[in-house]
Amino acid sequence: MIRLENLHKSFKTRAGTVHAVKGVGFEARDGEITGLLGPNGAGKTTTLRMLYTLMKPDQGRIEVDGIDAATDPATVRRRLGVLPDARGVYKRLTARENIRYFGRLHGLDDATIDARIDELAETLNMRDFLDRPTEGFSQGQRTKTALARALVHDPRNVILDEPTNGLDVMTTRGLRAFLRELKAGGRCVIFSSHIMQEVAALCDRIVVIAHGEVRAIGTPEELREQTGLADLEDVFVHLAGLDSGEAA
Amino acid sequence: MSMKTIWIVAKKELVDMFRDRRTMLISLLMGPVLIPALIIGGGSLVSKKLRTQLESTLEVPVIGAEHAPNLVAFLKGRNIEAKDPPDDPDAVVRSQDADVVLRISPDYGEKWRRSEPAKVELIYDSSRMDSRIPVERLRAVLAEYSRTVGALRGINRGVSPESGFAVQITQRDMATPESRRGMLLSFLPYMLILFSFLGGAHLVMDSTAGERERQSLEPLLATPAAREAIMSGKILAACLFGLFNLLLIVLAFKFAFSVGPGPLRSVDVSLPVMGQLLLVLLPLVLTGTTLLTLISASVKSMKEAQGYMSMLMLLPLVPTILLMINPVKNQLWQFAVPFLAQNQMILKLVRGEAVSPQEWGVYFGTGLALAVVLWIIAARLYHREKLAISA
Repeated sequence: MIRLENLHKSFKTRAGTVHAVKGVGFEARDGEITGLLGPNGAGKTTTLRMLYTLMKPDQGRIEVDGIDAATDPATVRRRLGVLPDARGVYKRLTARENIRYFGRLHGLDDATIDARIDELAETLNMRDFLDRPTEGFSQGQRTKTALARALVHDPRNVILDEPTNGLDVMTTRGLRAFLRELKAGGRCVIFSSHIMQEVAALCDRIVVIAHGEVRAIGTPEELREQTGLADLEDVFVHLAGLDSGEAA
Repeated sequence: MSMKTIWIVAKKELVDMFRDRRTMLISLLMGPVLIPALIIGGGSLVSKKLRTQLESTLEVPVIGAEHAPNLVAFLKGRNIEAKDPPDDPDAVVRSQDADVVLRISPDYGEKWRRSEPAKVELIYDSSRMDSRIPVERLRAVLAEYSRTVGALRGINRGVSPESGFAVQITQRDMATPESRRGMLLSFLPYMLILFSFLGGAHLVMDSTAGERERQSLEPLLATPAAREAIMSGKILAACLFGLFNLLLIVLAFKFAFSVGPGPLRSVDVSLPVMGQLLLVLLPLVLTGTTLLTLISASVKSMKEAQGYMSMLMLLPLVPTILLMINPVKNQLWQFAVPFLAQNQMILKLVRGEAVSPQEWGVYFGTGLALAVVLWIIAARLYHREKLAISA
């Protein structure tokens, strides 16, 4: 269970202060997949970075399973499995070693890690490359390694920043199936994307973000009703204000 | 911040480092190969040069040799051969074709017969290190000739030859054999300091600036591990690598002086001294690694971090240069100044001088304090939001 309240974040750049996130707030429930939908530069990544405590919000509150991220960031991180926008793996280590490293950093013992790697390798279909150095991995293999690494501690809450970026159809399908499994297992999943179909295919609830603000929250059906549009892409374009020339 | 996390990070960094075979070999072997090569090669070159300059026949262009056949014959008896004179002696010396030119004045014969001081002139360039020995040789032989003839003249006139010397000068050189060897070693502190300070530089930079560039720092910081622990683990790994590197260098150092040419062989490379050398360089490994981590955490890219390298390489030279321009005697405060302190300690050790407990205390106290200060600054930089974000 993740709750974000009225998050604000601005950055100082050479051109001036950029208010990247302005009052974002939503709730992501256990056993649901929550989609964070917005065009590039909408503030999705910044919102998620605040959620996994990489950044401190200027204002607002973050709660993960009832724990305040501002007071106990380490415990919050322990309860999160994060696939960030940056998903570099250590290329001189094998996929297994990459995953094991993160398992140890989460404080797991080696037996637990090995069992968990076995499980993840099975569900993510990584057996063929598990013990190969990640140098020369395909994008899909790298993403799977990064995903397994993020989930090695079997977290209650899973945060994925544009996980399907650069993946082919079959890998994307496999990933979707995996996320549905997580949902079935009662996990709280947050998933960000800039592609409406992607979010619609998977998410129970969609949070539309544009220009650092939440534009709409609801199930795909609710959003269709709210806008009176049938096509989901039109719904997104309308909600994000992309049709009014507002886009950057 | 737990020790366990630090060790997990350090272990992973070491595995990662050692898998990069080529980089590893270059950084590990450069010092241990380069330093002995310089010691043995440089040492034998110097001693060979000294031997030839001191013992071989010295050829000196002599202007006006016909005015002083006896002198020329005397020189020949002392292994100095007169050569035909050049047209322009100044130009020959300036162009370094001759180390020294001897000019015998045309009135030499005249004065000689009248028992007046006959004039000879040495033309040389005192700023040329290479001509020092030939000039000294020639000067010594001329002085000997002058003394001998003077004494003979005295005897002819019934004067004791000793009355010609109002003052007798004897010399006592206070340089111990150890300290004289130390002179040969003046370049060594810099080498040792440089290798311990920056030996594992790119590995350190790679583990922070490189990791960020490869986009793996953000996921790493999203784990529950404390940032200080992650940073300390990286520093620990680099220090262990640096120590290993240093051990190889000190062993190579010991080897070079055991097989090196004559005067080098008796340098004290006994195990206690080598152990102390290692101890002296230890705070430097820590300081260097922490400083590089600090730099890597503050820059935007690996390239920017590498830009600092040339400056860092010059840094240890500053005290050496200052000491060269303005030599000061050993004082306690010097053991608190980074690089200067190492310089003094290493010189003391290789000269076989004792380092007082007070000097050790000041040395380690300030060395470790500096490392701690750098660590605190680096840890603060590690907490900046910008750190993890590469794009």
